[in-house]
Amino acid sequence: MRKFAFVFLIPFIFAFADEGEIIDAPDFTLEDVDGNTVCLDSLLADGPVFMSFWALWCKMCIKELDALKPYYDEFDALNMNLLAISVDKARSVPNVKPFAQSHKWKYVIVMDPDDILRDLYNVQAMPSSFIINQDKQIVFTHMGYKPGDEEVLIETMRELFNEGEKDETGE
Amino acid sequence: MRRCVSYLMKVKRMKLASKTLFLLTVCNLLAASDIRVSGANHAEYWVFVDRRLDSLNYKEHLTEKLKLKVNYKDIMLKGVFFFWDPSIAVPGSLQYFDFTAQYRKDPVSVLYGTYYPTFGRGLVLNQFLDEDFNNDNSLFGLKADIKFFNSRLTLLTGKPRNIFFEQLSYSVKNDTTDQVRGANYEIKLPLSKKRVNIVTSFAGRYVRVNRVSDLTPQAFTELFGGNAGLTIGPWESYFEYGRQWGTYPVVGGRLKGDGFLLSTGLAIPGLGISCQYVNYDNIGFGGPGYRYNEPPTPIKSGVSVNRGIDEIGYGATVVASPFDFISLELSNNKISTHDASSGMFEEIINLDEDMDGVLEQIAKLTTHPSSNVEITTGIERMIKQGIELPIQEKIETKPYIEITCDFGLFFVDAGYEHNIVSSDTSDYYDHAVSLSIGKPEMFVLSVRYERRSRKPPDWLIPKLGEETSWPMVELSLDLTRRHNLRLRVGAEKGGLVCSGGVCRFEEPFRGVKLVLTSMF
Repeated sequence: MRKFAFVFLIPFIFAFADEGEIIDAPDFTLEDVDGNTVCLDSLLADGPVFMSFWALWCKMCIKELDALKPYYDEFDALNMNLLAISVDKARSVPNVKPFAQSHKWKYVIVMDPDDILRDLYNVQAMPSSFIINQDKQIVFTHMGYKPGDEEVLIETMRELFNEGEKDETGE
Repeated sequence: MRRCVSYLMKVKRMKLASKTLFLLTVCNLLAASDIRVSGANHAEYWVFVDRRLDSLNYKEHLTEKLKLKVNYKDIMLKGVFFFWDPSIAVPGSLQYFDFTAQYRKDPVSVLYGTYYPTFGRGLVLNQFLDEDFNNDNSLFGLKADIKFFNSRLTLLTGKPRNIFFEQLSYSVKNDTTDQVRGANYEIKLPLSKKRVNIVTSFAGRYVRVNRVSDLTPQAFTELFGGNAGLTIGPWESYFEYGRQWGTYPVVGGRLKGDGFLLSTGLAIPGLGISCQYVNYDNIGFGGPGYRYNEPPTPIKSGVSVNRGIDEIGYGATVVASPFDFISLELSNNKISTHDASSGMFEEIINLDEDMDGVLEQIAKLTTHPSSNVEITTGIERMIKQGIELPIQEKIETKPYIEITCDFGLFFVDAGYEHNIVSSDTSDYYDHAVSLSIGKPEMFVLSVRYERRSRKPPDWLIPKLGEETSWPMVELSLDLTRRHNLRLRVGAEKGGLVCSGGVCRFEEPFRGVKLVLTSMF
């Protein structure tokens, strides 16, 4: 019983202590499906970054990326970088690009077969989404996906730009 | 005597002082603004009926995996604490603590501890972590990477370990004295980036496995190979070759094997085509139930025949979305043992009755009749020969439908599947209905009822149980955006489950599962 309590209490101690806390985003340099280098610093020079971790076997991840597809152009126009990080292992790599293109996704598809980025961002459940502001801070983290969750993501991204505008106008 | 006591007191004081100093250093480091502590946690608690036990009918099972990471500038320290505690003494609990210390500053990375390296697509070396399948294939040792002029060199050395979950318990599959050493060099040469993106890539690799405890004199195995890739705009192709020079256990002598893999694909908006061809002859290397390399299987559901010992196969997938509201996926994949009596083409395409193998065919259609409704329907057909022994042949044909309606404040998901199974031992069908209701950012409540048309034959009852219905209720609760709690009550059918060519028989389950997943 003591072990049970210990195991289930650990995360709560960490959990509610850091809920809402703004965390610095770890740096990364990986490759996209076209072989281009994708580096967090250079992405942030253009604008904020949205990242969603997905895999070909993850039904909910695909639903999430499909649900966000209609909003891509809105945020792309605001210089936001939208990344879909594929954590498929090396054996599934040849299927990733054809799948993403067939779904007409415009996201930058980043390959993470060795779980480098997944490990850096402590991704424990799929999908997991992160929004990083231009100060290199993770301002939003979301684990899992249910139909309708995309509304919260969209709202958060819009708020990020509204706050940016307010800062610029000095309001 | 007095001198002895005062010496012991002195040692105690010194120990206390050093501990205090260590704690102060840790606190100081943690207080420094450049330090970032993060982590994740996965805890599972099961209470279930164990058919194998006569006296104690209920069994418990507690699993905890805590990952903690400390980043300071370019240095990362990571610790993973794993602990599995079943309620019965045999096989007993398992716990371990893995750590990794890494210095990474482009272009150099040096790591000491537990890591998961894969060279190319895995014909020569493939140690990976599959957390969803509870398959932990790691190396413990030293790894160094350096990047220069579009290329990367990796050098590594380590001791392998495979922790695998099967038959309701975790076990260390390869607790050996083997030592793995390897080198991998990859180079990418962009030829044109103006109108059409043209990129070529090449790699070469070498791995040596020394087996200290083997009875064979000079028992070592060498695996080497390379790959070449070419991308021209939306078309890309990749070829990988691996060769094994091993030693026959005990008797000695050269054991030779090789394997190759060819994949090609086309990706244009609205259409994706991918094809793969594999041919393995004694390239799979490891021991009973584990591999140091894990040659890829073209079968999407992860089944392989013998994990790189004697396999030939192909995979072809077409995914098309001609309109935004419709997506169609067709897939035909096969893997089997070599059939010397057939011609080359026949051997690739056909699944002969006498050969062990798997043929998988998938057709799936997803439509969005309106913006808040999604309908997915499809049919999956799978022929397995010599995979689920003692069943020699098993043919499964599964049509299914799933409808999701998103009403904004909440959503409803309903599904039905009908699996018609025909085998050399019995014919039956399984059918399942499921219904989920959920609220975004809050919860999902799912109910599933699965039923089999008949009991398994008597000789299969010890393995599959005699149940013919499996009701289940699951509640998934988002405690916060970083914490999810899942409660599952009911029964699961069990059966053969596979991932990446590795299979295990999952025992039927009847009980309660509580799962807490967190990241912080």
